[in-house]
Amino acid sequence: MAKLYIDSDKYGERAKFPTVEAYHSAVKDLVRKRLDQAGGDWASFVFDKSLTLITADDLKAIEARLLKAGHRFDYSAIISVQERPEAYKPVPGLGDAAKDYSFEHPDAPTAPADAQGRALSGVGDNVVKHPANTTGIARYVRTSAMVMDYLTKGVPPDTIAIIDDSGGTLTAPIIERFKGIICMGGSTRSHLGILAREYGIPCLMNSKIKGIKEGDTVELESSAAAKTAEAYQTGKEMTANIWKHGC
Amino acid sequence: MSHRPITYAQLLETNNLLQVFTDESYWLCVTRTVQESKLFPVPAYMMLSYLNAFYRYPSLLRKVESRMKAEEIGDRARNMGIKINNPPMSWGLLGFYFLGREWLINMGLLRPQDAVEDIVYVMDFWKRFQLSWHRNDGHITNKEFGHRAQVLPERRLQVFHADMYRCEAGDELHTAAANFMATVSQYGFLISCESRISLCNTGPYKIDDKREMIVRDFMDLAENDLPWLDGVAADMPYNNLTVPMMVKDCHFYLMDDWGSFESKPDFRAEHIAGVGLYTSDPLTEGFVPVGMGSKAELIRTYNDLAGKAKEATNRLWKRIAGWTRDQMIDAGALMYFGIFKDIAHVAGTYEYEDWMLIDERAQRFRPLLNDEFSRDVLAELVGYVSQPSQTVHDYTMMQHNNGPRRMFTPIPFSILMGDDYTLTSGPVYPGSTCLPKKEDRYRTSRGQMTLAEYNNAVRSFTPVACRNENRFLDETWLKYNAKSEAARALYENEQALSRKLKGKGAGLSRADVEALADKS
Repeated sequence: MAKLYIDSDKYGERAKFPTVEAYHSAVKDLVRKRLDQAGGDWASFVFDKSLTLITADDLKAIEARLLKAGHRFDYSAIISVQERPEAYKPVPGLGDAAKDYSFEHPDAPTAPADAQGRALSGVGDNVVKHPANTTGIARYVRTSAMVMDYLTKGVPPDTIAIIDDSGGTLTAPIIERFKGIICMGGSTRSHLGILAREYGIPCLMNSKIKGIKEGDTVELESSAAAKTAEAYQTGKEMTANIWKHGC
Repeated sequence: MSHRPITYAQLLETNNLLQVFTDESYWLCVTRTVQESKLFPVPAYMMLSYLNAFYRYPSLLRKVESRMKAEEIGDRARNMGIKINNPPMSWGLLGFYFLGREWLINMGLLRPQDAVEDIVYVMDFWKRFQLSWHRNDGHITNKEFGHRAQVLPERRLQVFHADMYRCEAGDELHTAAANFMATVSQYGFLISCESRISLCNTGPYKIDDKREMIVRDFMDLAENDLPWLDGVAADMPYNNLTVPMMVKDCHFYLMDDWGSFESKPDFRAEHIAGVGLYTSDPLTEGFVPVGMGSKAELIRTYNDLAGKAKEATNRLWKRIAGWTRDQMIDAGALMYFGIFKDIAHVAGTYEYEDWMLIDERAQRFRPLLNDEFSRDVLAELVGYVSQPSQTVHDYTMMQHNNGPRRMFTPIPFSILMGDDYTLTSGPVYPGSTCLPKKEDRYRTSRGQMTLAEYNNAVRSFTPVACRNENRFLDETWLKYNAKSEAARALYENEQALSRKLKGKGAGLSRADVEALADKS
């Protein structure tokens, strides 16, 4: 079989992630095979013949082999699971399961209730230091259907949105109606963090929470120092607390 | 296209610029954001855009330069707030092109010595544009300037400074301006399919020891090149809006090549002490005031535009929520790929087929782009820098990382000794999209136009500041010739629509401008 230029790499061997290694290995095998079929001349293959010799159907077959072996993909966008549930891992906590669902981060710090009845239920990176903490009602916002529902019926007062998406588009039509935001991902520089800063909405990014369910009263330590770029770069811990009330 | 021999000097420069770009790209990618969205399959569309960029950018840049040189486009860009700034030109052009190249290398579909003439040309185009755009601060990137972007000439800064309306937290203008910027930022993220490329900040500029000014551009807001804005953005009267924003007791210590800033203390709306509002596009004489006749008019304008942006956001969000995954991928990929499409508008060479279709050479890779693979290969390329092609010898200490890594592969010098290489990926191939075709209407500063009308209008227009008699009258010349007739004419052209500086000429200092500006 034809040898590729990159087959002689002295330093680089494998991709870091198994899925990437599996895909790239399969594509490279395909390229070797097709290069052979084309007569082995790279110059005429690379930009001309490869277009007709390496096709979408070839690449579709690579994915089909992985799925046939039992692999199911992690999702990032909900629509990917909705369109191809057979190819993706299911999204937990949607539909009937939403009522009793809570994000359960294994590293979320917790503590019993203090004298004020506040139980530490997690931490997050504060986007902007506000004069006071922020208390409201926890409501999970995770899908466009939920956003559409709030857009139609209105966002209830005092909503602290719990979001597993650091982007700024899922909640775009309703973000300014949140009293506060707890986001499971991203950093204070993520799009959701930027928008929260622009709107002046108390927001904790990169949060690790445990035991907070829909309708719980929660308090964000929005008066804590904002996490800085230097803190991210140096790995310095700068977190704000999240408490559940009435414990 | 002629094929001239590649020289050692060209390769040295190309590889140097690529390495400098590598260092900064890593820092930007790991410190500025984490890309994710539950609405858009972001990594999938990014990976597709990179391939489209690799296959199409060289041809499209050559097409642009058939009418206007990169450095001339840079001259135009200094006087406008349109999408040929940060991150489109400073990072997107090279970032997307070289990420496409790096991915193809790792799939065995490319060698480091393929498309060498393209690579050298793309880098040279970028260099000439950047040097021109940054002419006033004398750098090639914000990074080289210690993360600053002082691109504007004094004459424009004086107008922004003088005409700005003062405000403070709690007053009506402050509330309107803060709400406008938040709303239009949110709209920008949605227009851009979860990317920040509709927003750009430049500066800072010093007003006095306690106050600084930055310039905030909000772009692609009206019916423009993006098919998904047809109808939903019909009420937006301006495609690009610029807010000069003065802050008090807040120092912007970092303005990066993605157009994002860092400040001490953290910037909050309470720091805003003055604002203005302008529009610009390839048909304006620089920045044109919007609603700047009085403070009351500016408040009304901010509120009106925020309302229109909010309505457009809701309409667009509902449209996107009804899209298929492939439509989301196409929109995101075309938004990314077309990040600096406005250079074609400036040159009058814009064509829908060039900028709003996925080339068939890229399209064939779509079946690979499930969420998991896309996420992981993107993370390897820009975060972990862990792909085999990115791994170098163990003595290496990568900047910001110290690992034996390098984000982008240089061109091997061995091609100068006879090792075989290829020149170009070829012309633009046919493309396709599953999005509806763009309606032939474009919002410009001269009203709604067809694309043919827009291209024709641009081809016959040169802003006064960019005409041959003015183009090289730079800040150093001005320093020694402020009393000349040419300087007076240049400044008065800039001041023509200024409420405070009209006809004041070239002799004013910053203190003179402050004395003329509103005090409250």
